[in-house]
Amino acid sequence: MATAPSDYVFQDEFTADSTYEVGEAVSLWKDAWRRLTSNYFALFGLAVIVLLLLVAIVSQFWTPYPTWKQGIGPTYGGPSAAHPFGLDQVGRDILSRLMGGAAIALAVGLGTALLSSVIGIALGLLAGFYRGWVDTMISLLINVWYGIPDLLVVMLFVVIINSRELKWIIVAISITAWLNMARLVRGQTLALREREFVEAARSIGTRDVGLLTRHILPNALGPIIVQATYLIPAAILFEAFLSFLGLGAPPPEPSWGAMCAEGYKSLQLAAHVTLVPAFALAITLIALNAFGDGLRDALDPRMRR
Amino acid sequence: MTLETSPEVESRVVDKQLALVSVEDVTKHFPIGAGLLGGGSAVRAVDGVSFEVRAGETLGLVGESGCGKSTLGRVIAQLHPATSGKVIFQGQDLVPMRGEKLRRMRQELQMIFQDPYASLNPRMTVGEIIGEPLKNFGLARGKERSNRVHEVMRTCGLNPNFLNRYPHEFSGGQRQRIGIARALVLNPTFIVADEPISALDVSIQAQIVNLMEDLQNRFKLTYLFIAHDLSVVRHLSDRVAVMYLGKIMEIADSHSIYENPLHPYTKALLSSIPIPDPDLEAKRQPILLQGEIPSPVNPPSGCRFHTRCPIAQFPICSEQVPPLESKVDGHLAACHFAGQL
Repeated sequence: MATAPSDYVFQDEFTADSTYEVGEAVSLWKDAWRRLTSNYFALFGLAVIVLLLLVAIVSQFWTPYPTWKQGIGPTYGGPSAAHPFGLDQVGRDILSRLMGGAAIALAVGLGTALLSSVIGIALGLLAGFYRGWVDTMISLLINVWYGIPDLLVVMLFVVIINSRELKWIIVAISITAWLNMARLVRGQTLALREREFVEAARSIGTRDVGLLTRHILPNALGPIIVQATYLIPAAILFEAFLSFLGLGAPPPEPSWGAMCAEGYKSLQLAAHVTLVPAFALAITLIALNAFGDGLRDALDPRMRR
Repeated sequence: MTLETSPEVESRVVDKQLALVSVEDVTKHFPIGAGLLGGGSAVRAVDGVSFEVRAGETLGLVGESGCGKSTLGRVIAQLHPATSGKVIFQGQDLVPMRGEKLRRMRQELQMIFQDPYASLNPRMTVGEIIGEPLKNFGLARGKERSNRVHEVMRTCGLNPNFLNRYPHEFSGGQRQRIGIARALVLNPTFIVADEPISALDVSIQAQIVNLMEDLQNRFKLTYLFIAHDLSVVRHLSDRVAVMYLGKIMEIADSHSIYENPLHPYTKALLSSIPIPDPDLEAKRQPILLQGEIPSPVNPPSGCRFHTRCPIAQFPICSEQVPPLESKVDGHLAACHFAGQL
């Protein structure tokens, strides 16, 4: 039998290597941030998102012209020094409306992503972790829900609530948008619950809540974040679609989707009325995807150096 | 107060005649192919196993891959529910325990896992991993908790300066020390070690074995040490159990199992260990077993080993299950012709 030294000296290969420096302990999030900022594409995405946020905030206090005011200049007026993005079919300033639209887009995108993620993550975790009849019920709900057209759900919801306020639009889109998140989280949970570290956590007396929040959810965070960043542009586009049908934010709210819809009739005459908000949508979508991908890579601990 | 001088450790009994854990006729069947109409079969991973682990000893559990030894370890540690049978620990049957009662019991009963890469949560720091058991049982908070974590890290040969590091920053041996520290921090009585060294480099294996021996002496621990290799177990174990296809073939104290194996399967396993002496090694005549290990879905009738046994006689070996019984003072073997090979 080995003798019992009073204290172990750090004697194995790890410390025997004298070139190993202790260094400062970097937290996972700090490290992720460092990796994110060395990814230029993700930084571009982040820059656009920050710009959008600033514009959205500024638009709540100041725009060059009121977003609703008609006849500021010539109808279908092209870009000029006074109106950099031109004027629309009733002579409203497109730059001002674009700024106001940024606030609507971000509110719908972020609000929907947040709300539908909460629903999807909660149901996905429960289904994947408890399996059995809980999973059967939740999976049945998801599959049935998939079979019902999103548009029908949203239309019914808007009619029943009898309000087109932005917060209800967000709720309406969220109750159709959580399905993919729930499926993703369920799949991740089913895989993670069988991992040895989850078994180990059980063996040290971790309760179910702890297993879900400390062991399963953090290890599924990468795919969840990526999924959530896809939800944002999808929600923005869905809101545009609703506006086109007259179910979105009511006029004269400067929703980008509504602006596109209003301009498409005069596409040959004054393309800028449609192209400017469409371009804003496209840039926003690319930026969100770039940032999401960067975030996914940055949050993967195996990428740590 | 250090862990070593805690009243729990002081009062812990080391009596290698006294059963700490009694496993009574435990089975674990995994159903397969059970459709809507039923009629599925089952993998009989553990099929009627009884033995005891005595206070303060190390019981080695060996067998080939797929013989059910890891499943048995998990059933004893209550990570898989047993299909039937009893696991009696400190006078209580663990098998019917559920929920909070079972969770409380886990304080006394810990596990060390085989794969030091898979068994640590990659999103938690070493300090969080080792501190989690304390958190789960509300045993120590704040400064006191971090002191306990520091102490256990030092005890397990880890530098407490690495508290805020993540598992992937460590080598395999270091990670296994983290796994051991996590099991030790609750000050358990009994530890199931599921092949704790088979995923490590040979040079590191001896360090982990020495650490485990040292911890056993200091904290009066009882081990069930699972391995697929008799030579590793020899060094550590007071007694050894040999498992084949879900059943125990032989149990004896390690001296007599190595010097005088009674079961032909044990003998075959022992004869396959290379001898570190060229002259003796040249003369070594391994007993080569014929064929593959049969499927645990449909195990052979009678003695499970009869399809590969060099001394099987028919029809007795294919018809009658040999009981695990005492052959020579306390040396148990399940063979109709024990000691005849």
